[in-house]
Amino acid sequence: MKSRPLVWLSFLAPLVLLAALLVVFYRSSGGLRFNSPAPVEQIAFERVVFLPDEIVAHVRNVGPKEVTLSQVQIGWLNRASWEFTAEPSPTIPRLATARVRIPYPWTEGEPYEIVLFSAAGLPFSHKVEVATATPLFSAHSFWTFSMLGVYVGVIPVFLGILWLPFLRNLGERSYGFLISLTIGLLVFLGVDALHDGFEQAGELPGPFQGMALILIGLSISLLGLFTLTRWLERRRTGLEQQQGSSSALLLAYLVAFGIGVHNLGEGLAIGGAYALGEIATGALLIVGFMIHNLTEGVAVVAPIVRSRLGKGEGAVSWLHLLWLGALAGLPTIFGTSLGAFAPSPVLAVLFLAIGAGAVFQVVIEILSQMKRGGPLGAPALLTPANLAGFLAGLAVMYVTGLFLAV
Amino acid sequence: MIAPRSDRWAILALVLLLSIATLAAWQWGRPSAPVRAAAQSHPMSHHRPPTLGSDTFQYAYPEKRLAADQVYNPVPPPLSDRAVHEYELVVRDVEHEVAPGIRVPSWTFNGTVPGPVIRGREGELMRIKLVNHGSVPHTIHFHGIHPAEMDGVFEMVPPGGSFTYEFVARPFGVFPYHCHSMPASQHIHNGLYGMMIIDPKEGRPPMKELAMVMSAFDLDRDGDADFYAWNGKAFQYADHPIELQKGEPVRMYVVNVFEEMMAPHIHGNMFDLIRSGTALKSAELTDVVSLGIAERAILEFKYDHPGPFMFQCHFSEHMELGLMGWFVVSDPQKLKASASSPPTPTKTPAHFHGAGK
Repeated sequence: MKSRPLVWLSFLAPLVLLAALLVVFYRSSGGLRFNSPAPVEQIAFERVVFLPDEIVAHVRNVGPKEVTLSQVQIGWLNRASWEFTAEPSPTIPRLATARVRIPYPWTEGEPYEIVLFSAAGLPFSHKVEVATATPLFSAHSFWTFSMLGVYVGVIPVFLGILWLPFLRNLGERSYGFLISLTIGLLVFLGVDALHDGFEQAGELPGPFQGMALILIGLSISLLGLFTLTRWLERRRTGLEQQQGSSSALLLAYLVAFGIGVHNLGEGLAIGGAYALGEIATGALLIVGFMIHNLTEGVAVVAPIVRSRLGKGEGAVSWLHLLWLGALAGLPTIFGTSLGAFAPSPVLAVLFLAIGAGAVFQVVIEILSQMKRGGPLGAPALLTPANLAGFLAGLAVMYVTGLFLAV
Repeated sequence: MIAPRSDRWAILALVLLLSIATLAAWQWGRPSAPVRAAAQSHPMSHHRPPTLGSDTFQYAYPEKRLAADQVYNPVPPPLSDRAVHEYELVVRDVEHEVAPGIRVPSWTFNGTVPGPVIRGREGELMRIKLVNHGSVPHTIHFHGIHPAEMDGVFEMVPPGGSFTYEFVARPFGVFPYHCHSMPASQHIHNGLYGMMIIDPKEGRPPMKELAMVMSAFDLDRDGDADFYAWNGKAFQYADHPIELQKGEPVRMYVVNVFEEMMAPHIHGNMFDLIRSGTALKSAELTDVVSLGIAERAILEFKYDHPGPFMFQCHFSEHMELGLMGWFVVSDPQKLKASASSPPTPTKTPAHFHGAGK
């Protein structure tokens, strides 16, 4: 056995040498000459707020160096120089933010371009298609965005749950169809969330590494839920006899959780877009989401369709329906409110990825249970009814998704 | 297809919950009156042009505003008595402040954009020495009548070199001068231009004189100018207005060196227009004139009323991107009267004296 100090030395030596190298490099550039002739400056617009007679741009310095803002122009037909103040300072350190306040008499419904000039004369531009008053945080606006979440997330999920009695009367083959349909819905949701995540990740400033965020989000939910499920199962088998109902219920909760995280990400996106005036036809979009998300309720209750409801040994209390709906739907409310009042593109990407991972994990779980038998046991996986169900699930999502294409 | 009893409870509860939520949303979802009212109150100050009534400051932080000694002197040099008019223009690469707080690498004659006003008398000799302390070959191309070898198109003056242009000044008028090295668009845009005034032999009536070069700056080279300016700095005469007196005759020489139409316009007044400066008397009274690329004019006027008057390019975009300034016309008689009595509030805001806020 080696002596401890030697082991520690082997751990520390590379670090010490690296530190020494960094000092040398910092002092002498290590013989490399990187005098960039053109100033490399980058400013990212994170949020634009339209207040009465004032436009506030929340910007972040995502370039390699400090940036000083010297001039502001507002574009409407043509650009015009305008007054501005910047808080906390017009000089923004790397990765720091500033609020640029521009006392501009903007009018509702007009397109505007906001241009910031750095001291080196580089313009950074952001276009707003339709200016609309940004909701300020108040009891009323908070209520509005909460209700937006209720409409697009909570109500559709509960409406879907209302199908339960109908679903309970389905026969064996229809049941396989239903479960497969649920898998179709979930796969579609997951792919959809990933697509949104990639799209938003592409808009994130470079230093935030959108792709890495997606990787991290997916890993968290896929591995985390996998571990959690296994742990719960082991614990239960140790404590009691394997009972069909509780296993199905667990699966239902997993589905609800996955959909809930997905809805949180979706809510963030909707709230943010709504607040930024990027959703011009808000009402139509809300209707679209209501129809689209109705299917989520079906997915949530599908695993417990065969469970006995009510009181008694092995039965699933109907109160669980409320909890399942809440778990799947309520996160939308947090999402829309957070998206409207404190939008964070980074969080949105992360939650979309976590949601996608959670949904995929649920699909894996359902498939494994179908194979193993038990409450979801199916005679065979690839029956015509199951395949038809899966395709029907995709089709339902696609068709209801058409309402979102505005 | 009858649902079990426990299901009926669940459904009833869910339906109730949804109904309550919908009712509440309908009741609370209507917009509140105060939000709408707030959106419609417009403080007047934000609708005024810069300098006048600004609640914050004039397009740049106070510490970033142009210092008085950074303003391009709008008064042209007087005509010298000598028969030979000698000038030395030294090309220097400097950082030029095109708008308050924004410095861009530029090529200049004598360190300023535009270069100095060159002035001579019709029939007399102009001798202008170009010294190139820049980084690439340059020339000076003068408009006017002169021999081909003095045209500044073929004789490239290399970095470190010099060349002396000599020609008889004719005809009298206002002329642009600029570098003609290729690519000329880059050499001119980067700052190598200025104004030459050739006075008629018999001279013009004495007036307060102003020389104004109109140009623009495309900082990101995307084909759209980002700033426009009188004499090379956006808004400099808005931050530092030009003081005139009521009844005082003013002669303003104007040259447009940018590749867009410009339309100099003065407020509250009309001017006698002498196109190209090649006549002794005006043939037109107007308050706006369109100048194409390299076109120029003499504008003669005097103010009947005291107060602040804008002078601008009538293209709104040019004005809003820097081609505007203020004449502050004072009344000498009122000034005399107020010298002995406490100062009376004038209509001139404190901003005009560089005090700022």
